[in-house]
Amino acid sequence: MIELCSITKAYPTSMGQHVVLDQISAVFPDGVSVGILGRNGAGKSTLLRLVGGAERPDDGEILRSGRVSWPIGFSGGFNGSLSGEENCRFVARIYAADIDEVVEFARDFAEIGEYFEMPVRTYSSGMRARLAFGLSMAIDFDTYLVDEVTAVGDRNFQEKCRKEFEDRRGRSSVVMVSHQMATIELYCSRFAVLEGGKMQMFDDIAEATDAYEEALR
Amino acid sequence: MTLVDGALTQLRVVHALALRETRTRFGAHKLGYLWALLEPIFWILTFWGLFEVAGRHTAHGMDVIPFLATGIIPYTLFSQSTDRNMAAIAGNKALLFYPQVQTLDITLARGALEMATYVMVFIVLLGGNALVEHQLVFANLLRTLWGMALAGMLGTSLGLVLCSLSVVSNSVERIKGPLFRPLFWVSGLFFTADELSSSARDALLWNPILHCIEITREGWFPTYRGGYGSSAYVLMWIIGFAFIGLTLERRVRAKVQLT
Repeated sequence: MIELCSITKAYPTSMGQHVVLDQISAVFPDGVSVGILGRNGAGKSTLLRLVGGAERPDDGEILRSGRVSWPIGFSGGFNGSLSGEENCRFVARIYAADIDEVVEFARDFAEIGEYFEMPVRTYSSGMRARLAFGLSMAIDFDTYLVDEVTAVGDRNFQEKCRKEFEDRRGRSSVVMVSHQMATIELYCSRFAVLEGGKMQMFDDIAEATDAYEEALR
Repeated sequence: MTLVDGALTQLRVVHALALRETRTRFGAHKLGYLWALLEPIFWILTFWGLFEVAGRHTAHGMDVIPFLATGIIPYTLFSQSTDRNMAAIAGNKALLFYPQVQTLDITLARGALEMATYVMVFIVLLGGNALVEHQLVFANLLRTLWGMALAGMLGTSLGLVLCSLSVVSNSVERIKGPLFRPLFWVSGLFFTADELSSSARDALLWNPILHCIEITREGWFPTYRGGYGSSAYVLMWIIGFAFIGLTLERRVRAKVQLT
């Protein structure tokens, strides 16, 4: 379970402090996958980094129980000069997972062929996403934080991601951010809309869609 | 999480980082590690040539190559640990995505790697020299290694301070170069403390790097007993830098932007 207690995050800009998240409180219960909708720049990725613990809120507190993944996205966490395999070995080590198992799982899942042995900087963004996704699936997390990543790749890969999460339902939950309802509704049963630094939660997809469309206007 | 769990996690992270740093520091070229060894060796050979041409002699019957090696290697270890750690955050933002990886872990991993590299350089150089000279004489190897370890820790702790400062202002890197260059001439690379006049010695002994080099030389040369190198004095600097560095790191942590 993840609980956000009145978290605030602001970044300094040349125009002064820009408040990205303004006193957000929410609970993401175990076994419930939550999809957070927001337009570009609404603070979705910032929120995920805070939930994952990569950054700290300026104010407020985040309580986590169970293992929470890093934000799985295009860029995060890979060293460009190391190969896909070397990056996997590093992550397996810091999470105390079995290195060979993680490498094999990630190689099979990512399906990027011989690129797996090449430096990550030579990857397309789709290939990075495949690797990030495969690697995170190789390590057992209680909560996966997913940053748009499943929206890339061909239909085949998207289907594979969806199936993988389906198999884990009950064991793991997902907190996913996206600017597209279509992506989120495949995975999530609760919804949230992030707009103007505030977040609103919905149980009903129609209400969430309405609120999001309102925000986009 | 208990203290033991925390310590184990940190050990695991530092170990993983050290392996990764080895790849990224030396892996870019096929001869990467060899270059790391060759660079200080070329440097030492150049100064050896200058010593020969200038007809300069070293005190206490120290051979020129061991004399230069026991000065240049601890100094390079100090300055490399500082430089590498100064860039610890900038070069590793992607790593901070993983909450169990902290700046301090990166610093420890980089410091350990520099230390291992320069101990290796020392062994290769003085081992090679012993083969050529057909003799190997040293007084107290542990004290030599301790002198180098102090130099590495001093550089690492200073690097932690500079790396936090460079998050706040990017002019730190520009100022650091000219500010530190004089250290090359006053840290005892080309002289020993007891060759100096007592007023010059008193002034230069404020410099902790000179202490590191003195300790290294006292350990290596059976004929040199300067007695000027103080471990306690260097440790005071290390603890001071570590304290300031860790405090600053806490303060600037929120300022490190991942994107």
